[in-house]
Amino acid sequence: MRCRKISCQCAVLFICCMFLTACTYVLPKDKVQIGQEITNLKDIPDYSGVPYTEINGNVPQFSEDELTENSFETYSNLDSLQRCGTACANIGTDLMPVEERGGIGQIKPSGWHTVKYDNVDGKYLYNRCHLIGYQLSGENANEKNLITGTRYMNVEGMLPFENLVADYVKETANHVLYRVTPVFEGNNLLAKGVHMEALSVEDQGEGISYNVFVYNVQPGVYIDYLTGESSLEKADIEQTQNRIEGEIRGNARSKIYHCPGQAAYDKMADSKYLVIFKSEQEAEDEGYRKAKR
Amino acid sequence: MIVIVCVDEKKGMMFHRRRQSQDRLLREDIIKQCRGKRLYMNQYSYEMFGENEDSIIIVSENFLEQAGKGDYCFVENQDISRYLENVQEIIIYHWNRRYPADMYFMIDLANGNWKLVKEEELKGSSHEKITREVYKKK
Repeated sequence: MRCRKISCQCAVLFICCMFLTACTYVLPKDKVQIGQEITNLKDIPDYSGVPYTEINGNVPQFSEDELTENSFETYSNLDSLQRCGTACANIGTDLMPVEERGGIGQIKPSGWHTVKYDNVDGKYLYNRCHLIGYQLSGENANEKNLITGTRYMNVEGMLPFENLVADYVKETANHVLYRVTPVFEGNNLLAKGVHMEALSVEDQGEGISYNVFVYNVQPGVYIDYLTGESSLEKADIEQTQNRIEGEIRGNARSKIYHCPGQAAYDKMADSKYLVIFKSEQEAEDEGYRKAKR
Repeated sequence: MIVIVCVDEKKGMMFHRRRQSQDRLLREDIIKQCRGKRLYMNQYSYEMFGENEDSIIIVSENFLEQAGKGDYCFVENQDISRYLENVQEIIIYHWNRRYPADMYFMIDLANGNWKLVKEEELKGSSHEKITREVYKKK
């Protein structure tokens, strides 16, 4: 399969070269390169609860001479900060994988941290996100095709768009021109998001046509995009603390309070003398003392 | 009328004025479900079905107003909410995949007015597992 892919790439070397200018750029601060155009990063609205936002009316910005019925894939070289650039592919059935995906744990994309949170699906905040999804090109542990992305961006954001393309290509055997650009602000090691464009070739966009920016965010988690470091957002910290600490249950008759885990804590829930405090300090201020066991 | 729709995991139907997905074997299954009765659809859907299976297909842009009792209606890019009074049955195909969507199937089949009478799985031409559910109005 790999040989077949290489021969396809050679056959369209000319087209790939045309892409390379767009694929190897370094983004200027506050600017994002979209197709052949420069669009101000400020034009991308802040994340507001939806995993993606449409760009250019959801119309991809490929030029007509980029359309080809030959499959190919091309990846940008990493920049001086070891960050990925644009990945382009003309997805066809001949590029698609015929075997299960292998491990990719050996790749550490820019901004990578192995960190877990209870409020993240699967716990791990970051995934190694394929720019061109494995189901599309079979390209696996290629450092030029993997960025650090949140679980949310990977599963809620990028995956549905990949599925759309993969199933269309499998069903029709047509090609889809596909371009994914990670967007980094300044010297940030973590991408702000990915710009995804796709256009079905043989039917000129009748089947597939989109142009979206997918946010690299994780609801409930604060992320420092310069380094990739993260922490729970304040509201989630309080929620987590409350869950861990729980309420303090006082006995109005005995003036004894019970903390979660103590012997009579659960029993106190149904007591007619129950008084609830938010903290031990609050209970003590009210003249209560802590149970001994 | 008997409405036939396809939805993804979040009940999405369309994205950017395009169907989320398609499958040749699913289309064959739709024709089979109609058992020779009339199958209404609009031009957009008909272009996907093609000419081979058109013996029972009636193409119309306002087919939801034309279809009568017992007629099948394949709906891709329309909201059937305002025609609900005339709908006796809904056949819903689940892609069991997640796609982007900006148009959704809006009927709440769990609101007590509908009864699931049949559920079957089929393998599509490009989809591993498609689930067909049949709901009848109570």
